[in-house]
Amino acid sequence: MQATTMNFQIEPVTHDTVVIRIGKALDFRNAADFKAAAQEQVRSGIRSFILDFNDTGILDSTGLGSIFSLYRQVSPMSGQVVFASVSRPVQVVVQLTRTYKVFRQFPSVEAAREALR
Amino acid sequence: MEVTRQHFNGIAEVIDDLHGLFEEWEREEALLSHLDPDTIQLFRLAVHEWVANLVQHADFADREASITMDVIPNGHRVRCIIEDNSEGFPFPEQIDIQRDALTPFPERGMGLLMLNAATEYFEYSETKDGRRRLEFTVSSDADSCLDIPFS
Repeated sequence: MQATTMNFQIEPVTHDTVVIRIGKALDFRNAADFKAAAQEQVRSGIRSFILDFNDTGILDSTGLGSIFSLYRQVSPMSGQVVFASVSRPVQVVVQLTRTYKVFRQFPSVEAAREALR
Repeated sequence: MEVTRQHFNGIAEVIDDLHGLFEEWEREEALLSHLDPDTIQLFRLAVHEWVANLVQHADFADREASITMDVIPNGHRVRCIIEDNSEGFPFPEQIDIQRDALTPFPERGMGLLMLNAATEYFEYSETKDGRRRLEFTVSSDADSCLDIPFS
């Protein structure tokens, strides 16, 4: 079942994996909402997150920081955060910050789902 | 050389207005058509980070925020001047402080570093009439990065 939590659509994949559809922006205006939504998922047992950036026109430093926060939370529990369907504005941030070293990227949500199953 | 000047009054909607403008420019393929698509996004990111910094941290001392942005295309570069009527920041000194304070996978404190990495050159000053002025260029040739600690 798909849920919308504070502006982010969250879709279960398996018992411990979800897709979060980021939407138009992840920036200083909604980073706290993202963090709260992700934390709620972690509390309910989710360990792997597929972030869908297909429609994302803005990822700023605060938005990236909220993703780092999620990564810090799940990586000690063998969890992971991966990027899917990365838009050009997000790719520019990924390249500038070299975060491709940390977050695996997939061309589509489906490819990420297959890899994480 | 074509110069485009934009005015923004008030702080509440400035980010939405700004990105609305960028979307219009990209749709029309006019103002920034001399730049490759990645450089346009880098420019947009630099502008966003600075204006986000103003929205979150600037002290306008009970004045309505007044922000102007000049965009000056120049070959494979774009020059930008953003002026505002805030009290200003200890910038660029703040950049060194933020860089030294970076922890692995930082949650905050990357904004000015991101601006620094996205731009080829920048200068922050006060104008004769007391406004704060950030001038920077973004170039297709630049290959800089923000060195975030990952361990």
